[in-house]
Amino acid sequence: MKNQRVWMVPIMIVLGMVMALAPAAQAAEVYKLALSLAITGPTSDAGNPYSKGVEDYIRYVNDTKMLKDAKVECPIRDDQYQTDITKRNFEDFLADGIVLYLNYSTGSTLALKRDFEEEKIPTIPASFHAGNLEESTYIFLPISTYSDQCIGLAEYIVSNHKGDTPKVAMFIHPSAFGRAPVEDVQKAVAAGLKMEIVEVVEHGKDLDNTALLQRLVSKKVRYVLSQTVQSPVATLLKDAQRLGLIATTFGEEGKLTFLGAHYTGGNDLIELAGTAAEGYCWTTSYTLTSEPGDGTTFQLMLAKKYGRDDKTANSHNYTNGMMVAQTAVETIRRVQAKGGKVTRESLYAELNAMNGAKAYSPGNTVGPVTYSPTDHAGVDTLQIYAVKSGVFRSVGKPFTPTFVAKIKK
Amino acid sequence: MSANRWFATGNFFSAYRDEQRIFATHLDRAIFATFLTALFVWPLCFEVSSKNMLVLDNILVAMVAIIGLNLVTGFAGLISIGHAAFVGVGAYTLALLARTIGDSHVLITHAWPLMLLGCGGMGALFGAFVGLPALRLKHLYLAIATLSFQMIFQWTINFLPMFNQGQTISIGRVFWFGGEVSRKDHYFFWYYVALTIVVVFGLAVRNLLRSRYGRSLVAVRDNDRAADAMGMHPGLTKVYAFALAGFFAGVAGGLHAYLYRGAGIESFTLQQSITYLAMAIVGGLGTLTGAFWGPAAIRLLDLQVENLVEWLTAIMPANMNLATALKPLTFGLVIVLFLMFEPRGIANWWRICRSYVKLWPFRY
Repeated sequence: MKNQRVWMVPIMIVLGMVMALAPAAQAAEVYKLALSLAITGPTSDAGNPYSKGVEDYIRYVNDTKMLKDAKVECPIRDDQYQTDITKRNFEDFLADGIVLYLNYSTGSTLALKRDFEEEKIPTIPASFHAGNLEESTYIFLPISTYSDQCIGLAEYIVSNHKGDTPKVAMFIHPSAFGRAPVEDVQKAVAAGLKMEIVEVVEHGKDLDNTALLQRLVSKKVRYVLSQTVQSPVATLLKDAQRLGLIATTFGEEGKLTFLGAHYTGGNDLIELAGTAAEGYCWTTSYTLTSEPGDGTTFQLMLAKKYGRDDKTANSHNYTNGMMVAQTAVETIRRVQAKGGKVTRESLYAELNAMNGAKAYSPGNTVGPVTYSPTDHAGVDTLQIYAVKSGVFRSVGKPFTPTFVAKIKK
Repeated sequence: MSANRWFATGNFFSAYRDEQRIFATHLDRAIFATFLTALFVWPLCFEVSSKNMLVLDNILVAMVAIIGLNLVTGFAGLISIGHAAFVGVGAYTLALLARTIGDSHVLITHAWPLMLLGCGGMGALFGAFVGLPALRLKHLYLAIATLSFQMIFQWTINFLPMFNQGQTISIGRVFWFGGEVSRKDHYFFWYYVALTIVVVFGLAVRNLLRSRYGRSLVAVRDNDRAADAMGMHPGLTKVYAFALAGFFAGVAGGLHAYLYRGAGIESFTLQQSITYLAMAIVGGLGTLTGAFWGPAAIRLLDLQVENLVEWLTAIMPANMNLATALKPLTFGLVIVLFLMFEPRGIANWWRICRSYVKLWPFRY
């Protein structure tokens, strides 16, 4: 009996301490986000650095106590680019109580669109497909849509072309991701953009594009506008180089000038295409580490802090992931600053209010992130980059394509 | 047959009819009935997350598809490596109808049992058509013919605007007696539907295998010339097998589309066909129970590897790429190991377990 009493004392002390500490432990709030993306399988070359961008920024937020005592949790799951797995991950994340969801592919974003609506959960995907925003209220794109990017490139062609109406071919991915901008570029042409779309080519897995390139030249095409991923563009560029068809100056007669949207470019393209990438024009809304600035300095510091290799640190997909995480955290911070409770509803309202004086500048984009109830595409400005001596360099100032508004009327 | 139908041990067949019984003893029947009841009752007793329910639904849908694949590849011996395309035919039958008449049309939302049958019918039609080369082709040549169907299917869906060029075509929520099946009840509802279909199809195939046609399938697989000499029609049998497999696959496709509330090409690719084939091999080709074991084993293996990968990623963040490569590696390894060491699949382990129990307590 006496022994039992002796044991009771330390137990009571421990219990007392636990009870005293419990309210303090409860006070530290945890905001749950989640990301499902392709770390393996198709497009994993982009998904991998993207996931690291998200992961590192969230770690940084927690390590530097950016949200004071509150923590952000963001589990990252591989879905192998399979919608079925994305859906399973999403259901699991919902059960875990997430307040904001980060998705990845075009296919899964379109497939889960109704779930986002029913769950009323703000979602930021890595896909910039314009169709994501149709019949949707809870999807927020980080930057301009692929359509806007292609229209921006088309405007760049028209304003820099010398001579008659420029003849353009579109080289696109055989999927919704690739096809969607074609119609919008055609609409821009119909609305007065002075260029001629001679041919739209859906690429396969061809390892040789000789016939295609010769055909385009015979049709007097001068510009090839790509909306796909890097590897088919690299193959195309190498074949053009082999045939001596790459223009040495923009729009050179009898040669081809190659241009492409966000997922066609980046350092991976230079690595794949080598010297054939020289002169390639690319557009995105992100800043690049080859053009140093505050945003890129922060990006390189972040990558170094968490032990990432140079390739990841300099990847525009790492920037992409980082920026999405930055936007999510900034939204949480704003709700927190107002003294509000961080919920799906409050985050949704705060995202919709992110415009005008409340626009957000993450530092690694060429313009501010702006959302409103009628505009869910984040950064509206684009920057043209061109490969010079093996690195992407800015060409001109950031701009907003004018025909985007015209075709929406 | 033993006098006591409850406690008989071993085989006591004294007539061919005895051998054809679905349940050898009353005890077998009672255990099956109890198991079935448990499958229907347990979701009502325990709280199951939507994710786990979705996993179970997915397994059940795969079971429906594998019952068909097992019939054509396991029982009839006709290699089909385009099974996902047949499942896709079912899903896209529903999706195309939804796109034409509206995804919330009463036919889609209220007459869903009819729709599922329609999906199966379309699957059977395509199955019979693709099965026609089986009249002339065998083995690898036939496999290539089914592979061609897979390729044609993918191309058709990816390029034709009527199929939304492979993008997801949405399907509305269905109605039951209590009204619209809500998001909260969605996975439970489809669990019961899929489970009922698995049970009905399982019993139907069990019965089919006892019939003349079922025996013809096996006879044609073992030696089609001998089967021909015995008065069977090998060509027709093969086409029937493909049509039946197409029917099951079509129903599975319809279920898939309703479960995921849409149809997109990613779910019906060649990779998925190979996964189905792996399920049939791991489960046990040419056995009915194999059609249940295979999908459960492969899907649960996938989940366990995912958990392992997540754990590895948490403790070794720098090796994330290596960890995520574990999944395809494990998938391939499991198939190779089964082909090498247990080509009769998990169904054979089940058979061995049952044979131990059958002799218990060694009464003869």
